[in-house]
Amino acid sequence: MKKSFRPRDARQFVGTYRPRIDGHEKASGQARYLDDIALPTRFPGLLYARVLRSPYAHARIKRLDTRRAEALPGVHAVLTFQDPEVASLKPTNAGWTPFFTSSYNRMMWPDHRDRRILSDHVCWAGDEAGVVVAAESRAIADEALRLLDIEWEVLPFVLDPVAALAAGAPIIHPEINPNGNQLPPSPGTASEVFLDRGDVERALAEADVVIEACSDYHNADHGCLGTRGCLMQWEGDKLTCWTSYYQADQTRMHLTQMLNLPLHKVRVINPYIGGSFGRGNVGEQPFFIFTAILARRTGRPVLYQHTRREDFHDTRNALAYTCRLGARRDGTITACHFKSLGDAGAYADHSMAAADYVVREYIEATLGHIPNLRVETRVAYTNRIPGGCKRGIGNNQINLVFAIALDMLAERLGVDPLELAIKNLGNQHGRVPDRSLEAVLREGAQRIGWSQRHAPGDGPSVGGTRRRGIGFSLHNSWHAAWQEVPRGHIQVSIRVNPDCSVILDAPTAETGTGSNTCNVLSCAEALSFLGIGPQDIHWISETDTERGLKDQVQTDSGVSYVQSEVMGKAAAMVKRQILELAARRLNVPIEDLDIEAGKIFAHSTEEELSVRDLLWQEDLVPILGTVSETLPDEVTGVPFTASFAEVEVDTETGRVDVLKVVVVHDCGTVMYAAGAEGQQIGGQPMALGETLTEEIVYDLATGYPLSFNWIEYKIPTMLDTPEVEPVLLEVWKGAGEYGACGIGESVTTCTPGAVANAIYNAIGVRLGAIPFTPDKVLAALGKIPAEGGE
Amino acid sequence: MTSSHSPAQSPCHGAEVIASPYPIRIQINGRWYQFEVGRDLMPSDTLAQLLRERLGLTGLKVACDEGACGACTVILDGEAILSCMTLAVEVDGHSVLTIEGLPADDPVIEAFAEQSEPGYGTALQCGFCTPGFVMTAKALLATNPHPTLEEVREGLSGNLCRCGCYAAIGQAVLHAAEKMEAGRRHDR
Repeated sequence: MKKSFRPRDARQFVGTYRPRIDGHEKASGQARYLDDIALPTRFPGLLYARVLRSPYAHARIKRLDTRRAEALPGVHAVLTFQDPEVASLKPTNAGWTPFFTSSYNRMMWPDHRDRRILSDHVCWAGDEAGVVVAAESRAIADEALRLLDIEWEVLPFVLDPVAALAAGAPIIHPEINPNGNQLPPSPGTASEVFLDRGDVERALAEADVVIEACSDYHNADHGCLGTRGCLMQWEGDKLTCWTSYYQADQTRMHLTQMLNLPLHKVRVINPYIGGSFGRGNVGEQPFFIFTAILARRTGRPVLYQHTRREDFHDTRNALAYTCRLGARRDGTITACHFKSLGDAGAYADHSMAAADYVVREYIEATLGHIPNLRVETRVAYTNRIPGGCKRGIGNNQINLVFAIALDMLAERLGVDPLELAIKNLGNQHGRVPDRSLEAVLREGAQRIGWSQRHAPGDGPSVGGTRRRGIGFSLHNSWHAAWQEVPRGHIQVSIRVNPDCSVILDAPTAETGTGSNTCNVLSCAEALSFLGIGPQDIHWISETDTERGLKDQVQTDSGVSYVQSEVMGKAAAMVKRQILELAARRLNVPIEDLDIEAGKIFAHSTEEELSVRDLLWQEDLVPILGTVSETLPDEVTGVPFTASFAEVEVDTETGRVDVLKVVVVHDCGTVMYAAGAEGQQIGGQPMALGETLTEEIVYDLATGYPLSFNWIEYKIPTMLDTPEVEPVLLEVWKGAGEYGACGIGESVTTCTPGAVANAIYNAIGVRLGAIPFTPDKVLAALGKIPAEGGE
Repeated sequence: MTSSHSPAQSPCHGAEVIASPYPIRIQINGRWYQFEVGRDLMPSDTLAQLLRERLGLTGLKVACDEGACGACTVILDGEAILSCMTLAVEVDGHSVLTIEGLPADDPVIEAFAEQSEPGYGTALQCGFCTPGFVMTAKALLATNPHPTLEEVREGLSGNLCRCGCYAAIGQAVLHAAEKMEAGRRHDR
C-alpha cells in the first residue's frame, strides 16, 4: 500500500484523492481536440494549408515561380513572401509574453523581433520558408509545394554556439545583431554578467576548497501527443480561430495586433489540448497569421496543423554551464560563479529568459545570500531548431550543473552532500537552513534509503558488471502567488442555478494539467455552505474569448491555484445574494441569517428554509458571483522540491537503468492530491527521456536533423519507466487562502542532476552532458575513445 | 456508401486515378458499411482516415502517423492494431471495433476514468493517448483476463503517454481486470 499525503489542514474537497473531472470524457474518447473539430464533415469546404519547409540549414529564396503549383487542380491559394499582404507584416517574435497578456509594443523581448511571416530567409532545416498553399486535401497541398520552382541561394551555416560566436561565423540575424550571432541581453540586463555581488575571484582564491563542475543540456523536445495548429474561419469581417495553443486571449491579441483588427472582431476558442509542457515559445506563431490570411483570401475555413515531424518545432533551450564553488573547510560556501553558453537555435523567442531572466529568480531563491556571487551568460544564434520553454525556462539547465557541483564539493570536503545543501542553501524565509528545503531533503533521503548510500564509485556489484548508486538534486518550486501577480486580474464566475447545481466559468485551456479539477474542488469548497459537491459543478471546458472572462494561461503551473485564490470572493457574493433573498422572504434582518449545508436558518427564530426551496420560489434567474481580483503580492518566498534517484550502471555495456525515483514537493497547499502526484510521477518519464534516451541528432555535414520522429527520438514507454514514489508536503505557505505554488515544471527539474550524481555514486566517474548514452558512459570509464577523440 | 452519412470528398485524393470504383464491406462497431473504392475512399487511405474523417469516429487519435505511439489503436477481429498503419482496403470483410463501440460503463473506460488512489496519480492527463491505451488494454484483457503488472507493462509498451501516467495506467488495467471478473461472477 502506498503512503498517502496528509494535509496540514484537512478540507472537505481541496487536497483530496479523487478522479479527474474530465476522466470519463477523455477515457471514452469523447473529449474533442482541434483534430476532432477540424473535419470536412463539420466545416464543409475545409481547405488544408501546408507550408514550405526549408531543406537547408541556412538559405535564401533567390527566385520563385508558383505557376505550376497554382495550376494544380484543388489548389485554392498560394501565398508567398512576395505578396504585399505578407511583406507588409511587422517582424515578430514567437514569445511575446511568459504568462500575462501582452501587446506587440509591450512584448517581453522587443530586441529579439527576428521572425518574419513567410520569410525568404530561412535559418534552420525545417524552418517555415516563404510559401504556403491552401488546397482541398493535404496531399494536394503537398503536391503543390513539390511543383514550386525555387532557386535557393544556399548560405553557410553554423551548428555549434562556440563557432557561432567566433569571428567569421555566418551571421544569422544581421537585423538583430549585424556584428555577430550573440543575442542582446534581456531588458533590464546590461551585460553578459547579470548578477555580480562581492568579489568572486578573490573569494575563490581565498577559499579552502574550490571545485568546478560542467554540464551540457540538449534541445529536448516536448513531444506532445497532439500537434500544434489552428483552424481559421471568416464570417464577414469577423475571424474565428480554433487552436491547440493554450492562451486564447493572448492568441486573440496576437491576431489583432498583427492583422490590424479590432479585438471584438476576433474570437479564439481552445478545445481540449493534447499536452503543452510549455511548447511554442509561448504561442505567437507565424502560422496563425498566414492561415488567417489564407482563410480570408479563399473565403473558406482553412486548417493548418503540424505533422509529427513538423511538431519538432521548438525545444528546451540548449545551455552548457560551468559552475565554480568555493568553501571554507567548515562547509560554508563563500563563492559561487556560474557561466553559461546558450544555443538559441535559429530564433530567439524566450531563449534569453532561460539564460538570464529566470535564472536570476532561481539564484535569489536558493543562493542569493552567498556573499560572492557571479552569474554570466552568452547566448548565440545557430542554425538549429529554436530553443525556448519546456516545463520551465532555464531551470533544468542550471539545476544540472549545480547538482553536480554540490556533489563534488561535498566529496572534497568529506561531508554528506545533503547536509551541505541544508547548511548552505535556501534563504527565502530569511534564514538558513530553510525549513522547506530541509523537510524536502530529509523526507526524500528517508524514502530512498540515503543512510545506506555507499562511498562514491564503490557501488555494490549486481550481476558482475552492474553497479548501483544513488544521488539527489534540489530546486525551488515554480511560481508562488507573488510571482503570479503580473497576470493582472484573475477572473472567475460562479453561477448557481435554482436547483443549486453550479456552472463554473474559470477559463483556462485544458492541456492535461488538471487545473480544471483543482478549480472544481476549490469551488465546491467555497460553496460548501450550499451542501453540494464536485459532482454538482459543471466546469466549462472550452475556453472562448467571447464568453467574457479572461483565461488563465497554462504557460506555468500557477493555474493550479490562481483561480482558486479568488474563488472564495465569488462564493461570498453568491452567499450574500441568497441571504438577501432569504431575508426578504422570511422577513428577518440579514444579520440574523446564515447558511449551512444547503439550509438557511435564522439565529433568533430557529426558522429554517432550504436554499433550493428558496430559489425555486424566486424568479429562477441563476445567482451570479463574478470576481476580477488581483493576487496577493506579499513576498513569501518559494518552497522547495527534490528528486532522489537510484541507478544501475552496466560497466561493460555503458547502459544506465534508473531503478527508482523519489520526487518530493513542498506545495504550500496541495490543491488536488491525485493530480499533484500525477504531475510528480508523470514528469519522470519525460525527465528520464531527456537524461538518457532523447536526442535530436543532426547530420553535421548538412545541418539536417535526423531524428524528428518517435522511432529515433526515443520517448520512454511504460517498460522504460521505473518505480516513482511521489511525496507531497505542506511546510511552506504563501499568501492568500491556500498559499500554494505550481509544481508542473519542477517535477522534471531535479531528475537529470539526481541521475548524474547517482551514476557517479555507482561508478565513480562524472558525466555532465545529457543524454547519458552508453557511449558516453563507456568513454568516461576509459573503455572507448571520447566522441571526437581518436 | 450505404450508411446515412452524407457523401463528402475523399479526405485524401492526391493524384490517384481508379479505373472503376469497386466495393468493399467493413463491419464497424457491429454494423456493416459498404464503401466504393475510388469514390468514397482511395486505396491509399488509412483505416484511421476512414474512421475519423469520413465516419466521424474521432475517439482514436493520429499522433505520429507512423506506428510509433499507439494513439490510433483500434481492435480488428479481436486484436489491437494501429489504424494509421493499416489501409482501409485491407480490412475488407473484417470487423473493426473503435472506442465508440464500447458501452459508456465499459469496465476499462471506467477504470481509467476513476484511477486516483494514493501513490499512482491519475491514469490520464491531456487524454490524447487515452483511447489508444483503452483499446490496447481491451485487447490484452480479452486474451489475458488476469494479467500481472509486468504483463500489463509489456502489453502496453507500444503506446506512448507523454504526460507519463504509466504507473496509474498499470493500476487502471489491473482494476479493469478486477471489474471484469466481478462482472463475470455476477453473470454466473
